[in-house]
Amino acid sequence: MMKGIKIYLVVMIVALLAVQSCTKMDVFPSDQITTGSIPETADGILNVTNGNYSMFKDVLEFNGFKDDNNCYVRQYFQMSDFASNDIVCGQKTEDPLYYSFTYTHSPDQANARYFWYISYKIINGANTVIEIINGDDKFNDDVSKDLLGQNYFLRANCHFNLLRFYSKSYNDGDPNSNLGVILRESASEEGEKARATLEETYNFVISDLKIAANLMKSHSLNEYASKEAAWALLSRVYLYKEEYNLSIAYADSVINSGKFTLETAASFPSYFANSLNSNESIWSIAFTSSDNRGKFGSIASMLYSDGNSGWGEEFASDSYRELLSENMNDVRWSFIDTLYNDDGNVQTKNGIKVFYITKFSFQDGDPNLSSPSMLRYSEVYLNRGESYAHLNNETSALDDVNTIRENRGLENDLVNSVPSGKTIVDVVLEERRRELAFESSTVFDNRRNKIDLERKYWGYHIKGLTPAGVDQNNPPSGYDELVIPWNDSRGVYYIPVDEIIANPLCIQN
Amino acid sequence: MKKILFLIVAVFSVSFVNAQVSGFVFDEESNVLPGVTVVIKSTNTGTVTDVDGAFTIQAKDGDILELSFIGFQKQDITVKGGKTLNVYLKQDIVNMDEVVVMGYSDKKKTEISSSVAVVDAEQLKDVTSDDLGTMIQGKVSGVQVVNSTGQPGSSSQIRIRGISTIKPGNEEPLYVVDGIIGGTFDPNDIETVTILKDAGATGMYGARANKGVIIVTTKKAKEGKPLVTFKTSVGMRMADQGHLTMMNSQDFYNTTQELYRDPETHEIDKIKFYQDFPQSLQQRDFNWIEESFKPGMVQNYHLSVSGKKNDFSYYVSGTYYDEEGTFTNTGYKKLNLRANTDYKISKRVTLRNNINIRNSYTKSYDYMDMYYTYLNLPWDNAFDSTGHARYIDSKTPDWWSRDNINPLHTIDNSDHNYNDFSLDYDLVLDVKILDWLSFTSSNRMSFSTGKSHDFVSPLAAGTFHDKGYIYENQTNWKGFVSTNLFKFNFEKGKHNINGLAGFEVNNGYFNFMSVEGKGLPEGFDVPSVASNELQIAGSNTKDYFRSFISQVNYNYNRTYFLTASYRIDATSNFPPDSRIAHFPSIAASWLMSNMDFMNNMNWWNIMKIRASYGVTGDPDIGASRYMGLFSLNTQYNGNPAAVPYQLQNYNLTWEKTNELNLGFDFGFFNRFNFTVDVYKNVTKNLIVLASQPLSQGFEYRWENAGEVANTGIEFALDAIAVQTKSFEWRVGLSFAKNKNILSGIDKPFYTTVGGVSQIYRNDAEIYTFVLPKWLGVDPETGAPIWEKINKDEQGNIISREETSNYAEATPQEVGNALPDFIGGINTTLRYKNLELFANFVYQYGNDIYNSTRRYMDHDGHEPYYNYMEPADDWVRWKKPGDQATHPSMLNAELSRENSSRFLEDGSFFRLNSVSLAYTFPQQMVKRIKLRGLKLSVNANNVFTITNFWGQDPEVNLQQADWSMPGVSDFKYPINKQIVFNLEIKL
Repeated sequence: MMKGIKIYLVVMIVALLAVQSCTKMDVFPSDQITTGSIPETADGILNVTNGNYSMFKDVLEFNGFKDDNNCYVRQYFQMSDFASNDIVCGQKTEDPLYYSFTYTHSPDQANARYFWYISYKIINGANTVIEIINGDDKFNDDVSKDLLGQNYFLRANCHFNLLRFYSKSYNDGDPNSNLGVILRESASEEGEKARATLEETYNFVISDLKIAANLMKSHSLNEYASKEAAWALLSRVYLYKEEYNLSIAYADSVINSGKFTLETAASFPSYFANSLNSNESIWSIAFTSSDNRGKFGSIASMLYSDGNSGWGEEFASDSYRELLSENMNDVRWSFIDTLYNDDGNVQTKNGIKVFYITKFSFQDGDPNLSSPSMLRYSEVYLNRGESYAHLNNETSALDDVNTIRENRGLENDLVNSVPSGKTIVDVVLEERRRELAFESSTVFDNRRNKIDLERKYWGYHIKGLTPAGVDQNNPPSGYDELVIPWNDSRGVYYIPVDEIIANPLCIQN
Repeated sequence: MKKILFLIVAVFSVSFVNAQVSGFVFDEESNVLPGVTVVIKSTNTGTVTDVDGAFTIQAKDGDILELSFIGFQKQDITVKGGKTLNVYLKQDIVNMDEVVVMGYSDKKKTEISSSVAVVDAEQLKDVTSDDLGTMIQGKVSGVQVVNSTGQPGSSSQIRIRGISTIKPGNEEPLYVVDGIIGGTFDPNDIETVTILKDAGATGMYGARANKGVIIVTTKKAKEGKPLVTFKTSVGMRMADQGHLTMMNSQDFYNTTQELYRDPETHEIDKIKFYQDFPQSLQQRDFNWIEESFKPGMVQNYHLSVSGKKNDFSYYVSGTYYDEEGTFTNTGYKKLNLRANTDYKISKRVTLRNNINIRNSYTKSYDYMDMYYTYLNLPWDNAFDSTGHARYIDSKTPDWWSRDNINPLHTIDNSDHNYNDFSLDYDLVLDVKILDWLSFTSSNRMSFSTGKSHDFVSPLAAGTFHDKGYIYENQTNWKGFVSTNLFKFNFEKGKHNINGLAGFEVNNGYFNFMSVEGKGLPEGFDVPSVASNELQIAGSNTKDYFRSFISQVNYNYNRTYFLTASYRIDATSNFPPDSRIAHFPSIAASWLMSNMDFMNNMNWWNIMKIRASYGVTGDPDIGASRYMGLFSLNTQYNGNPAAVPYQLQNYNLTWEKTNELNLGFDFGFFNRFNFTVDVYKNVTKNLIVLASQPLSQGFEYRWENAGEVANTGIEFALDAIAVQTKSFEWRVGLSFAKNKNILSGIDKPFYTTVGGVSQIYRNDAEIYTFVLPKWLGVDPETGAPIWEKINKDEQGNIISREETSNYAEATPQEVGNALPDFIGGINTTLRYKNLELFANFVYQYGNDIYNSTRRYMDHDGHEPYYNYMEPADDWVRWKKPGDQATHPSMLNAELSRENSSRFLEDGSFFRLNSVSLAYTFPQQMVKRIKLRGLKLSVNANNVFTITNFWGQDPEVNLQQADWSMPGVSDFKYPINKQIVFNLEIKL
């Protein structure tokens, strides 16, 4: 019996020891790198930088699942252009994009929450690389410096876009007391942080872009940022900040670099289908065929359909088409595709005439594929032109306007003087709208020029409208949604409810 | 002197007439009972029935024979000259010496100090299914089974004693098959199922057991002569749409008119309406539901052979199960083969090896196809004149449904199927070292592989038109468990002490690979033919688990029992410093009915008080959750890209549940058995996905935060109400009430899916809904109204008011998805060889968010989606002064946004199964050379009483992508079925 007990005890102790010595039980994922090991491989920081770019086009899991509609560029264009008077809503929908039309946002809508989240995730990735490169001397070669600059650029770009959606216009009150967004300068800083002021946010963005411009190489590939991209974005930021001289200075730097040329009237119609290869592109987000979201999630799906390819529910507005109608030779008409019935009339959907928009289609011939352009050459001219206009330099402003018009089929219809009833700023803004419609510009251009939003056409931005209520013979009247003041409080999106709850220091809009 | 006495006795016993008496012993169902002890009362003369239940004994007239057998009530029968005795033994209501399989060890029922429920194969026969959960629903107190989908081949969700964890992932109990963790089984091979509910019992599995343990034991050979069993079941299933009916042409036409009600006169502008909607539409009546849901056949064939010869016993079986889905082009087929063998190699060594092979094939469906089946309009005909489904796209004229999609055409041109193969091999070696010491090594190797195939033809309309789409995913899993234990057993006088100790190793290896592509030529559906948009994915992971296991059982005079167990476990899922955890448990019981003072009161069969306390855990969070990670799953313009994926937390550790249980069992008159348990389970260090400010770029971090307590009472009554020679009525009742409370949470956090939120905060139950509160319809304007709460700066409520502006409606706690109480009622009526059984299931107090109503009860927001037929008390507002439940279609802004309007009471009472069975009498059966013949018919899901205005009140409890517990979304309806069964034994 004693012998038995002894054997028993020995076995127990051995078993106990076997369990205690469990050091070889670490399991590392097969398809993920740990944060600590990024600096250790030759391509670690390059992969993270590419990752930061990929987050502009990818659908990442949010709230526990991947919703194909959740992608940075999709929300970026929809949240801005659906709130403008360039696109009319053709159908009520469950999709939160609807609230951009009706200005009935709520803090829990998925698209705005995802946009906020993914912007900050890109910023986190950028900060990770910035801290690694700044924190270790071995990263002092040109390639690493260029990567560092690109990440400063991405950090600035994301903060600036957040500013456009979640903060008031620079000229709407006092930028030193109006709230900007939360500035993230480190990947490991404290979670709870307050919003900076509007002024502080602008200065942060500008400072990052200047650092970036100094570090980055000159432009070579459209899908990556470059010195000139930082300058182009600075010309836009200074325009928004109403520092017109600086906007002109940076626009000049881009134009004088000689790196870019405008597409001509003959080639412009195919620009968007080919933005990665064009000399007009400064920075585009690269989509490959494996990034094609198809009907469920591509930007084109809402704006265009060939019968199967998309939902095709939002169309070019009467207001925009009226502007283009001033000259039928304008090649910018090529991005509006009218849907006709068999009897030759324009087809209607729910009572609204169908005018598809094709700026996000036809890369490789696919109706849903394109590599959206975030910064392009013609905008730089328009930034400069508008700055000149605000400084009352009519001649220089008109020069820039005409440079665009010459390359858009309007060489016989140049603007030599400001027409009566309009100002020079009006002329530039109209050209800017013709050129940059559907590219996340118009809605902000109007607000920073204190122009109210006028949508005096039938569409489902009118709450409660039913197909029965559409009167084809008379324009709508009496609805609240037809005119929205430039400084309407719902022009700004709500900070996501998740942020407000988890970060009590962040004040809601 | 002794010799003379002996002679006198011998002479005396010879002087009466002693003859050969023979007979048969059966159970109440006329099955023969081998092994029954037949003894002449007050003597030592006795025998045992053989394999055919027959016995022969030397006895004389007037002798009383006493028959006894484990699990049955003792019976006396008097010998009457010459007659063959046929004895029918009645089952014991409480089988005191019944051996209960507890996993690592077995115990007699009287020795158990914990809350344990046993369901044997007989009790599972009323439900024909491939899923064990479905078969035990309503039969075990405290066990909630949810069939959240009727999809063929799907598994139910099982929750034991409430919800004790809130992290996403596997929430099902731990399964143990034939004493080894994991494993695969076919329901037809089940001998018994033991459900362990408290830590006293689950303590042995402590590290993984905080959701309860289900132990399945497969069949073994019983006695001698080979037994062949053949079972066949054939039946029909029909989709059960519950209270949900979609409108027909006429009703939809009439409802659409509401959109044309003039806001001034409140009259319908019929002229304009007829212009837009021609009256001829009323005659077009296409019933999408009828065309898409058809009755399906279910079949189950099972053949087994078992036998025992000297030192070798075997059980070999094969089962084929085929279930046609009720929704077009869905179904499930399965083949399962099992071979269990036990071999006594020598006096000291026993070897057991079991192998189970299973192959299944599932034809599944696409969610959107079901969505459109419900929402497409009755004015659209899916078929052309030849009866084939039509191709529809946005250019097709005269199609009224909102989205130009014909799901029946899509289904004809797509495939979603899944093939699953698994193999489990068990090898158990038992060595008797000394009288009191033995060694057991239990090992299992598991392989399983699954392949899914999703294909859409280029001919289908929609996003893949002219392109096609193919996605295939192959997953492989290998598992290995080895448990090596020394067991000891000492007995001295009235003391008995036994126990075990040893260690266990458990490894798992998992990998998957998938391909996706488009650009397929017509008529081909393999990845090789895809020509563009090609994507590949694949990765692998592993998990390691090491444990030290020990248990000691002590009893004094089989009256006082004490069990203590101690486990130390290490898992690779936690960081190195917090990898190891300890799990102790202790349980004690007092079998009062065994006490001397109780012996005079023979009306007690069993009276036991028991108490247990222990710690259980749950390591299954997935690998590497504590590391800071960047994911490499994407690319940018063809270059590798790394994206922030996870925030690090090197403090992450085990969540543990402290379980306290008090129980009381008593049975009396051999007719009544009653069990009551009171428990409190507190899970500490809950693993949560703690919300981070989104501005950090991360939604969550894996952390330990907070506690959840589940407190409750369970009650089960089993009674033989009436028992006569040929008739018996037996009733079983179970009731369980559970209350769940969170605590220790710093900052309340929410989970949100599809705009519906649930809050996790102190003093609230898990799965509490947070939504704006719906107040009804404004009688003056017909507009929807919600509640707006005004708070002061400190957050105190100042006032509540009505508002018709949805953006102002204040989200508040409006309900909870967990039931207040659940239970079941079983009743059996037996008359000679005929048995009628019914099982009822009930659940009370849970709320269901009926999310499909947002699409089907849409107030005109979607004029081209069909409506559900309204409940009797629904009233649409038409003019000022109307008291209505539904707003005017012209003034219904945001009326179908998420709010408590769609939160409904999910209580229900359901007749889950009715079964009528006839066991042919032995004499008849023997004449055709069989050993048993039984015919039965089962009906399942016969009727449901509920106020829930939807498909059915059994709603998903699993947190997963696209799904939230308590939310009812478009789902594959559950089924009603009727099945005929035949069982032959030879």
